[in-house]
Amino acid sequence: MSCKKEAVEVSLIKQPGHFPKPHYNFANFELNQAGIDLGKALFYDPILSFDNSISCASCHHQSAGFSDPGKSFSLGVDDSLSDRNSIGLVNLIWSPTFFWDGGVNHLELTGFAPINNVKEMKEDMNHIVDELYQDNDYRALFLRAFNEDTITAQRVLWSLAAYMATLISSESYYDRVYKGEASFNVEQDKGYKLFQRDCVSCHTEPLTSNYNFENNGLDEEFEDLGRAQITLNASDRGKFKVPTLRNITLTAPYMHDGRFNTLNEVIDHYSDGIKMSATLSNKLPEGFHYTPSEKKALIKFLETLVDPFFVQNPDFN
Amino acid sequence: MKIKNITLIVLLGGLSLTSCKKEGCTDEAATNYSEKAKKDDGSCVYEHNHDETGTLNIEVDYKWGMAGADFNMETTLEHPMTGDELEFSTFKYYISNFKLKNENGEWWSHPESYFLVDLSEGLDNPLKIEGVPVGNYTEMTYMLGVDSTRNVSGAQDGALSVSHGMFWSWSNGYIMLKAEGTSPDSGSGSFAFHLGGFQGEYNIVTEKNVLFSSEDLVIEEDKTSAVHLIANPARLWHGSPSVSETAMIHMPGEAAQTMAVNFYENIAFDRVENN
Repeated sequence: MSCKKEAVEVSLIKQPGHFPKPHYNFANFELNQAGIDLGKALFYDPILSFDNSISCASCHHQSAGFSDPGKSFSLGVDDSLSDRNSIGLVNLIWSPTFFWDGGVNHLELTGFAPINNVKEMKEDMNHIVDELYQDNDYRALFLRAFNEDTITAQRVLWSLAAYMATLISSESYYDRVYKGEASFNVEQDKGYKLFQRDCVSCHTEPLTSNYNFENNGLDEEFEDLGRAQITLNASDRGKFKVPTLRNITLTAPYMHDGRFNTLNEVIDHYSDGIKMSATLSNKLPEGFHYTPSEKKALIKFLETLVDPFFVQNPDFN
Repeated sequence: MKIKNITLIVLLGGLSLTSCKKEGCTDEAATNYSEKAKKDDGSCVYEHNHDETGTLNIEVDYKWGMAGADFNMETTLEHPMTGDELEFSTFKYYISNFKLKNENGEWWSHPESYFLVDLSEGLDNPLKIEGVPVGNYTEMTYMLGVDSTRNVSGAQDGALSVSHGMFWSWSNGYIMLKAEGTSPDSGSGSFAFHLGGFQGEYNIVTEKNVLFSSEDLVIEEDKTSAVHLIANPARLWHGSPSVSETAMIHMPGEAAQTMAVNFYENIAFDRVENN
């Protein structure tokens, strides 16, 4: 016999039946709806930036799968530009590391990275805590979420993590097919077969990422060392985290530096643009040399990874 | 008959309510106290003598160089090996995971044992370890730095909060030692060493072991005893070059490790001061 209270808590994060077990386990704090609501308020509040000009949502738009559409790099405070492309926020509780280089090792610390980055929000956690404490509405929200109105950096980060944990996309057309509830048309199916042949060793189904770090042949020499900046290991030069492909048509431009504006350019790269270097992924040949109809089919398949329920979910905004 | 029926219903109601309450240890003084437990199930476990405790102060005395001159913030110090003139504005480091072994060979672990020492707030603020069970102790272990677990366990509170400026947001892990200041020998006029690294070959976390060989540490109820340690910040440059060559370290690696570990390994036990 199950306990009613626990059942309610579990349903706050709905675990899709066709997904693996999440990496993040909510062990550190008691997840409740008030904490999620507080995290959402913080996510959309520019109070988290140095001059109160930029919120998390400034560079993570729900309508674009929580990416920054059309921007290779995102605008931070003082008109500075971020070092890398804003990644879409989706299915984060399955990711063991965060950001393009995996430098952040825990969901609860993802919020701290842009806050502390001088090119992004450039804000001090103590200042945020002071500002929030002076705001009666926030004090009330913290009281509801943590049963005390004491505000700490830890609770700010926990709340942001609670909200971000809810950003789950599992209802794309692809998911329905994966679960056997629908089927692809001929062209989508042709694309899916190519995807399964050439892409799934990194873009593992159904999350469409294995969360490893790979050099996908963008450059012969690396302006951005990527993963090697974190590990200091030469064998990681030019490697970046394999991104999820969910909501992919909404998250352009593509790659860590937003160099490709369209999916056509991305497919062209994997077809005939792979550049050799010492750390190139051994899963990539010199190129897949797709025909025009194969390219078109791949894109038709990728379009099925867009989740309209996710980008329009009223709970997220 | 009617009354019996009512009793039965009440009993059933009571049973089903109980089944929906989490059981566990509800005594806050127990080591396995569960915040979520609503009903005590008799599982509480207690430390020995949990109600008879005293305090241990860790007092670190700071020296500068082999001649044993005093270390000071905000004054110019000449390094005995590199000859650099250094004036420290920041000197912060983590000490953690204090454990004590009593005369019966039993270990006591200080719970949530993390201290951020900040020398800009004064050189003689002892680290207060409260709730130490009364007894005679023969050995102490502690860590310089923050254990690897807490580097990968999400947002922390207290001494480990990210709000202290001692955590790398872009490449997660604690800045376990931060030394900053000015020097005419540095090209930029300043120096900044942010030292950390909790995994792999550049791990700097250093475990220390102290044997109270000449005199046991005695903890008595509601009294304070002290263990004195000696630290020498000049040791940061024992295996590292002048600030004219390296004035900044901002990530884990060989340079950070050399600097931190030379300082850590030199930290020595001085004496026990029983109340």
